[in-house]
Amino acid sequence: MQADALLHLNLNRHGGISRRNFLQSASLGIAGSALLSQFRLNAAELKKEGRSCILVWLAGAPSQMETWDPKPGTPNGGETKKIATQTPGIEIAHYWPKIAAVMNDIAVIRSMTGKEAAHERGTYHLHTGHRMLGIEKFPHFGSVVAREIGDPQSDIPNFVSIGQTLSSGFLGVQVAPFIIDRPGQLPDNVFNNTPASRQQRRLALLSQQESDFADAGAAALVKEQSKLYQKANLMMLSPRLKAFEFDNEPTAMKEAYGKSQLGQGLLVARRLVEVGVPFVEVRSGGWDMHSNVFKGMERRAPDVDQGLSQLLIDLKQRGLLEKTLVLCMGEFGRTPKINARPPAPGRDHWVKNFNLLMAGAGIKGGQAIGKTDENGQKIVDSLVEVDDLFRSMCHAMKINADLELHTPIGRPVKLVESGTVIKGLFG
Amino acid sequence: MQLLGYIRSTMPTRRIARSVSFSSADLDQALEQELGPNAEASLAKTVDDETFIRRVYLDLTGTLPTPQKIESFLASQNRNKRAALIDELLETEEYARKWARYWTSVIFYDSVANKNRVKPQALEDWLAEQFQKGAPWDYITVMLISATPQRNKAVRNDYGQKLGYNNFVLACENKSTELASQTARIFMGISIKCAECHDHPFDNWKRAQFHELAAFFHPYTYKMPDADDPTVKTVVKPRFLLGEKPHEKMKSDARRVSIAAYLAYNPKNYWFARAYVNRIWSELIGDGFYDVDSLGPDSDVIHKPVVNRIAANFRYKNFDPKWVFRLIMNSKIYQREMRTMSSASELFTAVRPSRLRPDVVADSIEKLAGYDKKLHQEIIQVFDMNPSLPQGSLEGSIQQALLLMNNATLQSRLSQSDLKQQLIKLSSHEELVQKLYLNVLARHANEQEVQRNIEYLKESANREEAIDDLLWVLVNSTEFRTKR
Repeated sequence: MQADALLHLNLNRHGGISRRNFLQSASLGIAGSALLSQFRLNAAELKKEGRSCILVWLAGAPSQMETWDPKPGTPNGGETKKIATQTPGIEIAHYWPKIAAVMNDIAVIRSMTGKEAAHERGTYHLHTGHRMLGIEKFPHFGSVVAREIGDPQSDIPNFVSIGQTLSSGFLGVQVAPFIIDRPGQLPDNVFNNTPASRQQRRLALLSQQESDFADAGAAALVKEQSKLYQKANLMMLSPRLKAFEFDNEPTAMKEAYGKSQLGQGLLVARRLVEVGVPFVEVRSGGWDMHSNVFKGMERRAPDVDQGLSQLLIDLKQRGLLEKTLVLCMGEFGRTPKINARPPAPGRDHWVKNFNLLMAGAGIKGGQAIGKTDENGQKIVDSLVEVDDLFRSMCHAMKINADLELHTPIGRPVKLVESGTVIKGLFG
Repeated sequence: MQLLGYIRSTMPTRRIARSVSFSSADLDQALEQELGPNAEASLAKTVDDETFIRRVYLDLTGTLPTPQKIESFLASQNRNKRAALIDELLETEEYARKWARYWTSVIFYDSVANKNRVKPQALEDWLAEQFQKGAPWDYITVMLISATPQRNKAVRNDYGQKLGYNNFVLACENKSTELASQTARIFMGISIKCAECHDHPFDNWKRAQFHELAAFFHPYTYKMPDADDPTVKTVVKPRFLLGEKPHEKMKSDARRVSIAAYLAYNPKNYWFARAYVNRIWSELIGDGFYDVDSLGPDSDVIHKPVVNRIAANFRYKNFDPKWVFRLIMNSKIYQREMRTMSSASELFTAVRPSRLRPDVVADSIEKLAGYDKKLHQEIIQVFDMNPSLPQGSLEGSIQQALLLMNNATLQSRLSQSDLKQQLIKLSSHEELVQKLYLNVLARHANEQEVQRNIEYLKESANREEAIDDLLWVLVNSTEFRTKR
């Protein structure tokens, strides 16, 4: 068991192992040959996975009562009604008819509980799996995925976010999110109309200029710089850049995802996953409904309803869903009790219980995990903590949740501190 | 404030100060002693005037010297011209602005405060005013820490953020624990945030000490959550890190003034003066005596006697920020050629080449291409960097390369720039190359560079395009965004 954890810890996705790590493990007295065969096995296993993750982030924290855990007819239920779904026995809020129609592919988690009821802190916790406590900045889960699964030689970034998001923290720029604002368009500054021959001449002159500066004492900076320029040039020429655009995408497909920023973002996400980008985040804003929550849902839900359901249909048709983890969540939940804010009532921040959707990557669809009481104020079954969620995300991505990360001051921290994989989530 | 004025004027150090002096030559001697006799061979050479003027301009004003300024500095026969230039630049508005931006970034870089409740620009303006006036560091610190911003409910989103000095407290969301850890981090250079949750295994600071410090900033009774069960809480009385306790009956705003006093005026609190010295040293030399905001135990300080002596004298000089700049910049250490140090034993035998901060990159570009709001914002965003990380830990990004290579606004503006027009008119290739280098890199081209660039011009069918190319190459060179 211990040896197993250790092996995962030391292997990168190419089955490589650093000398230092190797010596460390060897010194633990594991028989050499058994160790090596285990390495080979894991290396082969890791390479063929090709897992990806699409995170649909509903910034502001959507209400659980108006999404996947409605309580109509109770004092806290409000104007929200419930509707049946494709899965007998699972009912969700009436704002989501299209999600309801693909419920057989979705696992609803209704018993999430968190610890942070402020937006920045909750967002941090649900993106990194760590609370904002120490001096270290923990990496976005996408950066962890980019590091563990992404190809370091890739000609396009291993982590793309459509909309601003958290950073890679102490994992550094190699796995930082590449942020784009306008889905369907090439990222900023990847295009220039300089003919190739002229660009070559420029780069040749630049490299002479650079080598002089390196000789003058700035070798380390110049080396890094030339790596970045190589990567940038690789990216400018990459045929995979097309994944950012919709050129050959049929109009019907664009419409199926919906014309909204989110719908188009999800289409880009699918295109990126298709060409091998292991992590894509797509952001939707406006979910912080302190007032006017019922009208607000009517306004905000349709874009996500359409885009997300189409994403699942599309991924499935392309055979990508079994390798792609799809997550849809926000930073916490909202008060079951309805407030009396003008102009129309809403719900405030609530972290004791909230809900989210998971699909793909081995997750058993058509199930609802966890239960809240009839007023929606208490979890009465299968409490899921943020650590449990992250363990499950790691499980889906085939990443070792006990992976040890080293903070800048050398403190070893586990990728996920505690918790267990959510029971019954995987088929 | 009156109370502080009194404490300050009766500081015992004031008496000592009259008889103490510490010059740049003393600093050099102290460091050479520390480095030992074997270091002699590894000491980098002193930089030439041209490298010096660019370095000093970048460090003190965040801008490049103009070609005219470079020429006149090179031509000057004044033997004290380097010291005179340092003095001159310390009096400029750009000096105040550059360092105001730096400290604003230090305070706001990791802040998670709601954007509607803070105003970084107001803080920057206030700091610039203080640096311009030559306000002492203890005054600036005390003003920031003892601020008690009031919310004006009559006005939407008015939390007192318009008053510049309120913004340190606002950046900490006025939270006791955040104020405690940020005060220690920024003004003492020490990391005690870990102690919020547990006793640090290899550190001086205990968990109780952290919470005693946090209690100082709390308006009422502060309760420390139990380490194992956060729902169990015990009342903690305010106590400063060195054991000082405020008077029991002190009100919360008076308590904040008292913490500021303990911080700045207890002569045993050497962390305060040293944190400022180490910050400025790191920015100027490229490496610090320790990481600027995360010092653990004191044994982590490299060449401690040197930094302690500078810090002690900073106190004797009434915490005059400019004194620290003068001391360091007039030393041999600062005026050495660049080299990337890879081991602690090499530290301070040369100056480490440093990445320029985002506002400096933007300014260098705007000197050439003029100002464009969207481009400016993009540069600030893409080149943003954590001002509290050591230079060695910073990294560039693909987006930076893409922006400088391809940004359409930048390319077209460079192509239509005044500089380009002037270059076109020059019939001599050599003059053209020299003018180009002086304007973009703030130095003359060496012989090789002249040859190389002339060759490029000659081999190009279209001279105008070739000039664009030469500009492109220099703007994309590492040197352009580096302090050498």
